[in-house]
Order: sequence, then C-alpha cells, then structure tokens
Amino acid sequence: MLVFERPSETAVASAVDALRKDFGERAVTSHSVREHHSHGEGMRDAGLPDVVVFPETNEEVASIVKLCNQARIPVIAFGTGTSLEGHLKALYGGVCIDLSRMNNILQVNAEDLDCRVQAGVTREQLNAEIRSTGLFFPIDPGANASLGGMSATRASGTNAVRYGTMKENILGLTVVTPDGRIIKTGTRARKSSAGYDLTRLYVGSEGTLGIITEIQLKLYGVPERISAAVCQFDELSNAVNVVITAMQLGIPMARIELLDEVQMDACIKYSKLEGFAAKPTLFMEFHGTDAYVAEQIEQMKSITADYGGSDYRFADKPEDRTKLWKARHDAYWAGMSYKPGNQAFATDSCVPISRLADCIAAAKAEIAKTSLTCMIVGHVGDGNFHVQISFNPDNAQEREQAETAAAQIARIAIGMGGTCTGEHGIGIHKLDALKEEHGEAVDVMRTIKKALDPNNIMNPGKTIPMN
Amino acid sequence: MIETWQQQIKAAAAKGEKLAIKGSGSKSFLAPVRVGLTLDTRSHAGIVEYDPKELVIVVKCGTRVADVEKAMADAGQMLAFEPPHFGDDSTIGGTVAAGISGPRRAYAGAVRDFVLGAKVIDGKGDHLSFGGKVMKNVAGFDVSRLLVGSFGSLGVITEVAFKCLPLPKAQATRVFEMDAATAIEAMNRWYAEADPITATTWVDGKLHVRFAGAEPAVNTAVQKRGGEALVNDVDWWRDWREQRHAFFASAKELHRVSCKSTAPATDDMRTAIEWGGALRWVHADEASAAKIRYQASRAGGYASVWRGGASTHASAAQSLSDPLKDIHAKIKASFDPYNVFPSLSSSAGEGARQGG
Ligand SMILES: Cc1cc2nc3c(=O)[nH]c(=O)nc-3n(C[C@H](O)[C@H](O)[C@H](O)COP(=O)(O)OP(=O)(O)OC[C@H]3O[C@@H](n4cnc5c(N)ncnc54)[C@H](O)[C@@H]3O)c2cc1C
Repeated sequence: MLVFERPSETAVASAVDALRKDFGERAVTSHSVREHHSHGEGMRDAGLPDVVVFPETNEEVASIVKLCNQARIPVIAFGTGTSLEGHLKALYGGVCIDLSRMNNILQVNAEDLDCRVQAGVTREQLNAEIRSTGLFFPIDPGANASLGGMSATRASGTNAVRYGTMKENILGLTVVTPDGRIIKTGTRARKSSAGYDLTRLYVGSEGTLGIITEIQLKLYGVPERISAAVCQFDELSNAVNVVITAMQLGIPMARIELLDEVQMDACIKYSKLEGFAAKPTLFMEFHGTDAYVAEQIEQMKSITADYGGSDYRFADKPEDRTKLWKARHDAYWAGMSYKPGNQAFATDSCVPISRLADCIAAAKAEIAKTSLTCMIVGHVGDGNFHVQISFNPDNAQEREQAETAAAQIARIAIGMGGTCTGEHGIGIHKLDALKEEHGEAVDVMRTIKKALDPNNIMNPGKTIPMN
Repeated sequence: MIETWQQQIKAAAAKGEKLAIKGSGSKSFLAPVRVGLTLDTRSHAGIVEYDPKELVIVVKCGTRVADVEKAMADAGQMLAFEPPHFGDDSTIGGTVAAGISGPRRAYAGAVRDFVLGAKVIDGKGDHLSFGGKVMKNVAGFDVSRLLVGSFGSLGVITEVAFKCLPLPKAQATRVFEMDAATAIEAMNRWYAEADPITATTWVDGKLHVRFAGAEPAVNTAVQKRGGEALVNDVDWWRDWREQRHAFFASAKELHRVSCKSTAPATDDMRTAIEWGGALRWVHADEASAAKIRYQASRAGGYASVWRGGASTHASAAQSLSDPLKDIHAKIKASFDPYNVFPSLSSSAGEGARQGG
C-alpha cells in the first residue's frame, strides 16, 4: 500500500519553477545531480528527486519546506549521502535539500567544551578546524559524514564505548519543522532543558520529523596519552570473549574493534597492512594520563593472554595510529573491493554484551548456509557488529540469499534481546524488522509522526512503517 | 497489576476522568498538581532481571531506588547518574519520570543516558515497550527518552532497563579554599585536562572535588591538584545529593539555575555551584527571581524555582515558545489522546519540571 500519493506533475513543475526563481543555480534539475542525490552507499535502486536545492541559511531551508508543505511535495534532506539503508531514495520524487553549503562552524567555546555547527559540516572538517584548541569531537562513523546526517541517524563510531554516540553528545538543535517553522531545542546549558526532551526525539529521526540545520555539540580534551594496539587470535570466539571480559571489568577502553579472518584478509590487501596475519584481530585504543593508560594496557594484556592472544603491536606515533584507524574505517571499502563488481549488505545487530559470542557464532552459522563471501567487523565493545554480505547484483539467487541471511541475522539478534540496528538506522530496508522488534510501540511512533508531520512530506516511506 | 492499571486507564479514558500517577511522593514538590484518582506505582515492584555480566538491570517501576542500588552494589555496580532519592522510599519510576540526576551527572551522564529501554502504559491503556537492553539502538524514534522527565504526563512507566557501570575501584575527595570565580575556572580546566573527576561542588567558599576510578589515576590526580582530604566523603556526597547540607536547609526560597559551565558567578546572592559549573543553586526571594532568570538566559540556560517559591512563577514548560508548546501538545496527545494524565504544564505548587 502506498503511504504517500505522488504529487501531480503540475504541482511539482510549479514548485520547481518557484525554487529556480528563488535559488537560481542553487536549484538543480540535471539528471546527474538528481541521480547522485537519489541514494546513499549500499543498494542503489533508483528513486530520483525532482530537484536538488542547496540552501545556505536556516531561513532558506524554512522557505523550501514551507513551499513543499503547501504543495504536498516530499522533502528529503541530504548530508553527504553515506547512509546505508536506502534513507535517501526519493520513493515519491520531491525536493532534495542538500545541506553541504551550510558548512560553517558557528562557535567554538573551548572553555565550555562545546561548539555550534551548521548541519553540513563534516566530522573531519570540524576536527581539522578545532585542532589548535586541543579539543576533539569523538564520534567517527567509517565515512566522513555530515554532522547533520550523523544527528539524523543517531550515528556512532569506533569510540562509542568511551564517549557515547551522537545522542549523548548533542546539547541542542535548530530544526525546521514540516510546516516551515524554525525551532531551537536544548540550550547552551550542558545538562537540562525544559519540558520534553525534543532533542532526543529529532536525533535519529532520519529526516522524517524535520530538517536539522544547526547542532550544538560537546567537545573533549585530547587525552595526554593515546596508545593503540593490535592483538591477533587463532579463534574468533577467543577474541570475542576478550571483549566481553574487558567490558564486564569496566576497563575504560576508548576503542575496541573486532575483525574476523576474512575481514582482516581484505583489510591487509586493501590498506597494505604489513606484518599481520589473516586471523581474527582486535584493534584497541587507550586514552588517559600516562599512568592510567599503562594500567589499562596491563589489565588488557592479562585478559588477552588468558584467551591465547598474540603479543601486542603498538601504534603510539600519531601517523601510525592514523594508518591503523584508517584501515579500520576503510573496512567497508576493503570488503567491497575483495570481490570486485559485487555489492553488499551490511547487517547491524547489537546485542547485550554477554550474548555477543553466541550472536556472532549464530551469525556465522547463518552465513555458512550460503555460498556467499561474508566478513565480520564491529564496534564490539557495545555489542554491535556488522556482517558484510557480498553478492553479485546480477544474480537473483545470490541477492535473495543475501537478503535472507541479513534478515535472519537481525532476527537472531532480536531474539537475544537485541536490536536489528545499532547504528545504521531503519531507512527503507529495516521497516519490517522494526515492527518485529517493537510491536505495538510502532503505533505510538506512527502517531507522533502523523502529529508532527500531518502531510507526511518529510522523507515519506522511511523509518516508521505507516501501515 | 498491569492489567488492573490498563483497565483503570481505559475506564478513565471512556468516562473522561483523570488519573494521577504517584510513587512514594518524594518528588511531588516538583510534579504537576495531581487531580483525579491516584495510581500508586509501588504495588508493581521488584527486579525483573539482573545478571551483572550483562551490564543491564531491568526493574519494575515501584521498586525502591535504595533496593536497586543495594542489589547493584552487591555485584560491584551502580546507577552512574547517582539519583537523588529525596526520601527513603523513592521509586525507580519516579526517578525516571522526574528525570533528575545527582552529582555524577556532569561526568557520567544523566538518567536519560542510562535508560536503555522502558515499558509504558499509554493513555489508551496499551502496554508498550520502547528501546531494549542494548547499549546502542537506532530502531525508530527514541521514545524511551521522551519518558524521562515526563512527570507522569505521557503514561505509566511500568518497567525500565538501565545500563550498569562498575563501581570505581578507588575514590578520594579533596577540598580547596577558593572563591567562586576561581572554582569555576578550576572545575572546567581540570575536567578538560582529563582528571578522573566524578563530582564537583563549590559551597561556602570551598571547592569539593571527587576523584574516582582506577587507583593510579586517582592517586596521580590527587598528587597533582593537592587540596585537603575530606574524611567521610561518601557521607558528605550523599548529604549533598539528598540536599541535607546546611546550604539547602537554610534557604527560604531556592532557585535552580542550569547554564553553561563557565557562566560567571553572581556574588550578590548566596550560591552553591556543582556539575563543573553547569548547575547553580541560588538563595533568592520573590524580588530577585526575575533577575536570576535574566542572568540564566544570558548564560545560555534557564532558571526555575526549586523550593519555597510562590506558585505564580511561570513553570519551565509554560515558558516555552509557541512552536515548542505546539510540539509538546502533539506529543502529549500522541500518548494520551483522552487527557487521562495531567499535562506537563498544569501549574505546580512549587518547583519546575526539567530533565537533568
Ligand atoms: C564506509 C562506511 C562506514 C560507516 N560506518 C558507520 C559507523 O561506524 N557508524 C554509523 O553510525 N554509521 C556508519 N555509516 C553510515 C553513515 O555514515 C551514517 O549513517 C552517517 O551518519 C550518515 O551521514 P550523512 O551525512 O552521509 O547522511 P545522509 O546519508 O546524507 O543522510 C542520512 C539520513 O539522514 C537524513 N538527513 C541528513 N541530513 C539531515 C539533516 N540535516 N536534517 C535532517 N535529516 C537529515 C537523510 O534524509 C537520511 O534519511 C557508515 C557508512 C559507510 C559508507
């Protein structure tokens, strides 16, 4: 059943005309630009917006949304297009708002450890521009995503165990509501705000409740000492058990990433890592004072020794660390190039930490039922891992196998008290899994969506199943 | 119990009656005025699930906070937002609904950061489950966090899953004689320099800093910063959290100011400062309330009357801008279409509603 009726061609044409008049060359209808904005990473089934607009101010965003609301035309926000679940596909055409020209850092308040940015600022841009202050912003999804997109997807990264995810690091937002009003949620006050916690409602709403135009973010002091280490294992289960033990003991790791033997093989080849075997591997990083880091490393060494881990390879120099984490962040691309021409689904289960070993074993068993190449990588410190399932897109049977395995892995995680998505979100691909996971609670989410966006113009067809 | 409550809510909805949700009443002074029949959450109590290895505890709403903390301490864990009890029998449901956190708030996170999932009976009598038991979940809207600080206006929170953290291995509190401005600067700088700080309070000309974590880290910090040791610091922080310190007792009217952590000190009114500077408690009277609110908004935050103020003060929720009020009303209606539960802005006797 359709959840949105495609606007008439004349309605669209007159909206496009109006936008061209207001935005001139910043309203683009060329096929290549529309195509570029019709998908994120991941599957590329087409669904083109009718026009892509590049606003520069909150007021310009508001004017676009107002126009679309009056004409009942879909509005889809676009950050950097790295989302993985079909979030950006223009199912019913409409107007894509590309926020990349809203890329100003509005304030850096070094003493208050916070900053305010426009939605189009990317995480790498922010960190480059605040480097001289001795501060950094920790959330680092594998892609150089926009902070607006990261807010909209409640993104996280390799150091969520220590610094949390986007939801813990946003103090407030400026949002353009579906009727074109500009609202501010939260305050500069670090801790509290009046009334319901609207900030947390917009964070992770995937563009379905409003357009985020500004974000107030927490910043952190660069620790005195940062030490990265790699440890390899013969058995995947041993590596997983190290993670579980470390978390249960409360060792404050900044990062702890798991790569299985296939993923490690792909990364060694793609990122030219030297001196490592294609074996299950943990990438770790420790933050703190000299004494504190030394103690954490000693504790970890005794745990890895219990599980037959190798000696540690340390990367303490900034350039070595950068190379190591770049290899980790490139794991997705390493996987994609492992089988050239293939496409991939990345599952995104998250389970209670004590079930992590069981869940990964069950996922492996699921994979073994297929003939496909799969690899596992994950921010396992919080129970989250990805199985990248590679398949030939021209082979219907392979695609079906991949879809079945991905759905089954999500189901296994839900069955263990976990979720189908720890960080990538629902988009269009996980609508069924959301129902399975949340049952009747989806009704309340739908009611909220209907109440706040009565014309259903904000990224229709995504995130919340409307029927 | 759940079915009984569901029936009660459905009946109230059908008859256009009101229901008010109440735990032990320890935070009533903050809550909207109750009208209608009271639904007492204490009859639904107990720990549903707690395997310390999972780092998650699932608790029924009527469970005493003290019982939860006891069970967790026995397993070497804690609720890291350090909830103020304000009464021996304060409940978990009330803690989440009031959304207030204690001294560790600025360093470990707020209630909402530790709520992994929650169950709630909405105003139609449906029992719903949001979030879950995992550290990260981005499936759909983040509804469980809307419940934090909702003061019973959206539904009956029946069960909550919290993230657990291990108790720190070592702890030490140091006291420094300094004026407010110096204390604000020190709290912010030391934290930025990554000292293992878990609480800060400046009161009566003294800055109290609690360091906690692994032993070497605590020792290094103590050596680096100096100060005087505070004996019985566990009791001191408990009294502070419970607002049993003389500073609170002597206030006729107490205002709570939430602001950016570096906001300058105001020296014309008796003040205590905590959360690294982000929370200020001010002794004031009716006449100076407007000035405090003005200063708070200049400092990027807001002020509200906590205790002792006259009911004419605009509550936090009432001072929202029109579009925000509109969104609040829509959220309220999404949960509670028949208005069975009190609204967040129904005028309170004292205090104000705020997440913390
Ligand atoms: C190699 C690779 C690695 C990745 N690793 C991680 C990871 O470790 N952790 C993780 O969480 N994710 C990861 N992702 C997924 C992706 O990077 C994140 O989801 C990211 O937050 C998307 O940001 P974006 O700017 O690209 O948003 P887009 O893809 O442009 O948009 C994503 C969604 O947000 C909406 N949106 C974008 N901007 C706004 C706005 N300003 N206001 C309202 N809605 C908006 C869009 O409409 C869309 O629904 C990875 C992706 C890739 C390709």
